[in-house]
Amino acid sequence: MIEIEKTGVPAVPIVSGRFVEDAVASTRAFGMPSLQWVVVPRIYRNLEHDLCRSQTADVIDDLIGQLTSEIDARVSDIDTVGSRTYEADDRYEAVLAMNDDLISEDFGDGLPLFPATKDAVEKMLTGTNLPPDHVVCDMPPGFGIATVEKIAINSVMAGAKPEHLPVVIAAVKAISNIQADGGKSLLMSTSPQAPFLIVNGPIIDELGFNPRSAIGPGRDNQVNTVVGRAFAMCFRNIGYWYPGKMDMDTIGTTRKFIQCIAENEEMSPWDPFHVDQGFNRDESTVSLFITDGELDQQDQGNTTAEGLLKNLAYGCVFGTKSIQEKGHTQRLILMPPDVAGPVGKQEFTKQAAKEFIQANANHSLGKMIQYMPLEGEARVAEKWKWLENLTEEQRLEIEFPVMDSAEDCYILVVGADRAKTAILPSGPAPVTEGIDQYRA
Amino acid sequence: MYTLEVQNPVAEQRGVVNSFTTSPRPKSLDGLTVGLLWSGTHGGDVALNTAADLIKQRFNDVTVNFYNGNNYPAPEHIRQKCAEESDVVIGATAD
Repeated sequence: MIEIEKTGVPAVPIVSGRFVEDAVASTRAFGMPSLQWVVVPRIYRNLEHDLCRSQTADVIDDLIGQLTSEIDARVSDIDTVGSRTYEADDRYEAVLAMNDDLISEDFGDGLPLFPATKDAVEKMLTGTNLPPDHVVCDMPPGFGIATVEKIAINSVMAGAKPEHLPVVIAAVKAISNIQADGGKSLLMSTSPQAPFLIVNGPIIDELGFNPRSAIGPGRDNQVNTVVGRAFAMCFRNIGYWYPGKMDMDTIGTTRKFIQCIAENEEMSPWDPFHVDQGFNRDESTVSLFITDGELDQQDQGNTTAEGLLKNLAYGCVFGTKSIQEKGHTQRLILMPPDVAGPVGKQEFTKQAAKEFIQANANHSLGKMIQYMPLEGEARVAEKWKWLENLTEEQRLEIEFPVMDSAEDCYILVVGADRAKTAILPSGPAPVTEGIDQYRA
Repeated sequence: MYTLEVQNPVAEQRGVVNSFTTSPRPKSLDGLTVGLLWSGTHGGDVALNTAADLIKQRFNDVTVNFYNGNNYPAPEHIRQKCAEESDVVIGATAD
């Protein structure tokens, strides 16, 4: 609607009540804070047609008014400059007051925040060679201007240290390169898409990232947790990824407590992921994936490469397969050394392993596309229209690969010494950003 | 008394710094072409067609064109066609 208004044509969207804050946030993000809309109470998507018609009729006067009347611009009320002050009997009480205030504004993740004092931010900035006012990117989905200073402020709040800052900067830069449109529609989804960060290179040992039991809380994952949290804070306060405003997730996920894990390069039989992405082994990088689920695929005794890989392939077939134009069905496979080792030793290259998995990850097409009833469905891509000519029974009988190509399958070696693989649905293609350029 | 001062973590948005204003509105929809831009999601088409029917009841000589963007956001060529062929546009993503 904004792009149409920019051409000089009045454009008014119909918005359901749950998405009003999203509409406000989107108009600010995409450059037209004064865009108007009409509000209906319920989402149309699964509503009976009679109710669709009646709730539209209820707002027709408002709609006509928006199309034919000049509008007062909406006043911006988001404070982005300066500082906040808290007075209390002592520092501890002042920090508590700060937390009450910032968390009530949704500037945090619900856990206690560290105070981003001027001194703390200056100390954080010693971790990079970039000046504080350097703009790293406009961070999606809200396209906040990501200066080094703002990244540093959010990193302090997360509890990060100066040496972590280059990783956070690189991750912020990476997300701005996801998809042609900065992933704006994906990151605003009603599904649980969330960024997932993985580092490669010497920085793993230098900073103490954990490549073994890498996901989850605890002492061994302190760096994984804090760096991930710093990025998540940036995503929130710079990217405007606030729940109910631009993060429109229906149920939510713990993956939004973002972690930054490491590949277990020492125990991998193959080149590390960042080498696949075109970097040298001795460069440090962070790769950003967008995932929307997680599954543990255990293996209780396969010893041949084919047996191990078939098990992984069968584990990949959960969920749905996209039949839309822009759809992507990918899998991020976090393969532990006890699976990668035998597969590599039995002369499977990583590419061969990906091809084997893709070729064997087949499932009933009818089951995978049940999520999108075809009758009257306009969003089915042209190449899938032939499905409309089949009965449900016929579609169920067709076996089809869940991934279109081996390039939709990403393998990274992560984990401790057991044959338990994590399979995460993902997409679009990940972005890898060098970290060294941001170091002090 | 202890005073704690902390820096603001929230960034300015590019869309606010470089914002656009909305277009001038017509006084009436009589004789105009109304474009309906649909994302392809169930129910959005019903909403748009309902709005168009009610507008045609209230205004004279209204032409209605329906555009299926088939996605969110709609592809550029669909948006462009809709904008070029319409005097006003109503949109629905069914959300």
